[in-house]
Amino acid sequence: MAQKNIAVSRLIPSEFFEPNLRLYSFIFLIAAASIALYLFPVGEFKGYIDPFYSPTILVLPLVGLYRLTCYAYRKDYNRHVFKHPVACPVYTRMDGPQRSYTGETSSLFKVENLHRYFLYSAIAILPFFYYDLVLSLMYSGGIILRIGSIVLAVNAVLITLYVFSCHSLRSLIGGRKDCFSCMANASGRKKFYDVQSGLNAHHEQIAWASLVFIVFTDLYMRALSAGIPLDHVIFHILKL
Amino acid sequence: MKAENKKEEGAKTGRTRKFKVYREDPTDGKGGEYQEFDVQVEEGMVVLDAITYISQRVDPTLAVRWNCKAARCGSCSAEINGVPRLMCKTRVDTIDGTITVGPMRAFPLVKDLVTDVSSNYEIEKLMPEFKPKEGISSPWRMNEMDVGRSQEFRKCIECFLCQDVCHVVRDHHAAYIGPRHVVKAASLDMHPLDTLDRSEWLTADGGLGYCNVTKCCQDVCPEHIKITDNAIIPEKERSADSLYDPIISLFRRFSKGKADRKQ
Repeated sequence: MAQKNIAVSRLIPSEFFEPNLRLYSFIFLIAAASIALYLFPVGEFKGYIDPFYSPTILVLPLVGLYRLTCYAYRKDYNRHVFKHPVACPVYTRMDGPQRSYTGETSSLFKVENLHRYFLYSAIAILPFFYYDLVLSLMYSGGIILRIGSIVLAVNAVLITLYVFSCHSLRSLIGGRKDCFSCMANASGRKKFYDVQSGLNAHHEQIAWASLVFIVFTDLYMRALSAGIPLDHVIFHILKL
Repeated sequence: MKAENKKEEGAKTGRTRKFKVYREDPTDGKGGEYQEFDVQVEEGMVVLDAITYISQRVDPTLAVRWNCKAARCGSCSAEINGVPRLMCKTRVDTIDGTITVGPMRAFPLVKDLVTDVSSNYEIEKLMPEFKPKEGISSPWRMNEMDVGRSQEFRKCIECFLCQDVCHVVRDHHAAYIGPRHVVKAASLDMHPLDTLDRSEWLTADGGLGYCNVTKCCQDVCPEHIKITDNAIIPEKERSADSLYDPIISLFRRFSKGKADRKQ
């Protein structure tokens, strides 16, 4: 029986079987949001494409897994969902020897080691956000700048910063090397590594900013397609 | 407003503050408890000043370990109001109310505030040693751009606050060697003249997978070493290279097969 339990905890961590309202709420929110995104799609609206449907909602699981395996979010859900521990001061941790713990050694969490593959898919998806931005700017035939385009632009920049501040990318561009000076174009690559490391130091803040903003962008696009008059034209250059 | 500020300052310094200090002698089997002391606080006073005042003037049986009082030796680690900190680097006027001082709970207690941190030196003995490239001429020359990363880890003063705050080391007794030792491994791994990759050892024997990157170690480091960002996560990525990445492992198998065929 004990052996069976060990086998199960190797596959699914025991934290999933604890009475944990935060975990239930987290799973419920993710499930409800995913179902809502599939059930209530937003088509193109006056040249705007909702970021959740760019390029297609079918790639959303990859993007979701990129965020779920991200080191910044790992810190957050390990602290605030699994409570391992909630906070660092010893009196407020809500963690202790009485709780079972397998960390990232269980089969389920070993998937986190494949974060780099989800990074590759996120890089592949990035150009679509800029393509959608250009489409929204060219919507009228000329060049039109509307508030919605600014929202799309901020969203695209935040996602780009999020992807390019990734810890796996940091390893890929030089972190895994012991000797920078041995590489071709050493000073250029070291500079790139240093700039990326500077960005990486703010990865957590960028991760949250981009997550909040992508939801805001989605809500903005849904509001527009529902007929709420939020959008305004800033300038419009007609095609000659 | 100024009067209020002065009143607040007066409340924190220049008067008696209450300290609760953990007292226990494990040899007498009586268990431990917090003992209250009132200490006259002066401006700029740190917690270690108050503790040494108690041990020298009030109760000489209070056991406390300290040395430099300059945050260089890493001896005076303790839990101050539940946060692992150096007593010599924690100003009294930054804390409101009663100041509770206890030993680092992740280690066996010797007496009162003194703990036995020797297990860390045993772990260090297990670590694969620095193995320099063969045939390099002396003196060793290294490019400045290559030494920066491992230099950061050399700042470690071995106060073991990171080990104390780590919930894996402290609460779960899993086979994880702890953040201090991952920093040590990373300082060797990122050394430009070292030839070993310790990431596989860290995962297999060091239990690196138990770390769930909650960054408490990074938060408490008095030397502000980016333990998680610059040591643990890069080592996790290196172990993903060597153990979990299917394409890299295929590539390695292919290049190994090629090398074997050449022989």
